[in-house]
Amino acid sequence: MIVIVDYGMGNVRSLSNAFDFLGYDAEISRDPADFASADRIVLPGVGAFGDAIDLIRSLGLEAPLNEQVLQNRKPVLGICLGMQLMAATSHEHGHHSGLGWFDADVVPMVSTPDAKVPQVGWNRLDPVGDGWLFRGLPAKGNDVYFVHSFHMKCRNAADVIATTHHAQTVTAAVARDHIVATQFHPEKSQDNGLQILQNWMERDF
Amino acid sequence: MLKKRIIPKFLIRDGRLVKGIEFFGGWREAGNPVSTAKVYDSYGVDEMIFLDIDATLQGRPANGRIIERVSEEVFMPLTVGGGITTLGQIEDLLKSGADKVAINSSAIADPGFITRAASRFGDQCIVVAIDYRSGPDGAKVHTRCGTEPTDLDAVDWALRMEDAHAGEIMMTSIDRDGTMDGYDLDMIASLANRLDKPLIASSGAGTLKHCMDALDAGASAITISSMFLFTDQSPIKVRSYLSTNGCNVRSQHGSRS
Repeated sequence: MIVIVDYGMGNVRSLSNAFDFLGYDAEISRDPADFASADRIVLPGVGAFGDAIDLIRSLGLEAPLNEQVLQNRKPVLGICLGMQLMAATSHEHGHHSGLGWFDADVVPMVSTPDAKVPQVGWNRLDPVGDGWLFRGLPAKGNDVYFVHSFHMKCRNAADVIATTHHAQTVTAAVARDHIVATQFHPEKSQDNGLQILQNWMERDF
Repeated sequence: MLKKRIIPKFLIRDGRLVKGIEFFGGWREAGNPVSTAKVYDSYGVDEMIFLDIDATLQGRPANGRIIERVSEEVFMPLTVGGGITTLGQIEDLLKSGADKVAINSSAIADPGFITRAASRFGDQCIVVAIDYRSGPDGAKVHTRCGTEPTDLDAVDWALRMEDAHAGEIMMTSIDRDGTMDGYDLDMIASLANRLDKPLIASSGAGTLKHCMDALDAGASAITISSMFLFTDQSPIKVRSYLSTNGCNVRSQHGSRS
């Protein structure tokens, strides 16, 4: 069973609909007992970093997430803000500490007349490495749906498994062992997104 | 590079799709919204917008039931609008499966509502929809589904809504709605230069060239309604025409959902 962590931010219903559509059993929960019994965990999120990490901490979810992901090495997928929360620090409206699963900073994107911030819409993926998460996507037309103003800068380049271009090189997906995350929304990226979720589900970690 | 977006705009009345002319007349029945959404999903459009056109005048928020059913099978960004006046209603629509809400009349009644909504749900979630008519005094905003004129200048209002933290601005020319005579290119060109946020051009699409012209004029996205519902132009033809003419759109592929 997949548990989608519900800490009150994000369209979790679309995610559970996407997993249902693919034939997987997904439950929306904020109960640490469900994290413990889950096979996989999804950490979603839409909104501001500070609010989100405060909610995760005030709901008492940080320690149970760390236990499942860091100690029990349970596969986890972060999406959008859920990915950024996995960074060590964020500079969104102040300075915040994150879950620290990636040695990375969340920094503002540069806005230009041709590439406005927030980046809202479909953009191309440039996979880095073996591209396991993007297997089966058309080489021309691997666009996915992004909505964000900040992005993750990894200190360890090997953590980055895809980038996209929006006036600058933007981190689109990261992975280290069983910890995987996407800046874009696979659950809103039509076929490409469904394929990515399927690839994650079929991956042995 | 970010792609230009093609967005079918679906008007809902009593649970069915409809389409009229200049907001007031010539209503035509256009089918079941859920099955139509699935068809457009298979065409690979980039987003969908659902506007419950009776909601404001009936004093209720947009019906969440339709978006709930669409979001079970259609995995792309979905925007819902109509009659939204409270943060609780936005939350309910997001829980029903919407990604963004379109707000029009209640932004005019209470501009602070947009800022409060953006601060709670994020700017990206709030699309401010602006309906206007052009006349000798310029383009004036109309509220309550186009029924009430205001003194607000459409361009000024759009810029003010951007400052209020709207994530996107959707401009609908009532004069052109349903006419298929082409988008309001002057408005698009003058506004796109001044807005930092994406501009969604709405109303007037009748030919493939109209679509190209609106995107060339600076729109980040175009909505299409009558042209899709009542002509033989499909999203596939629009995308292929735009792409052939050098416009940066997603490449064509269908959907398996």
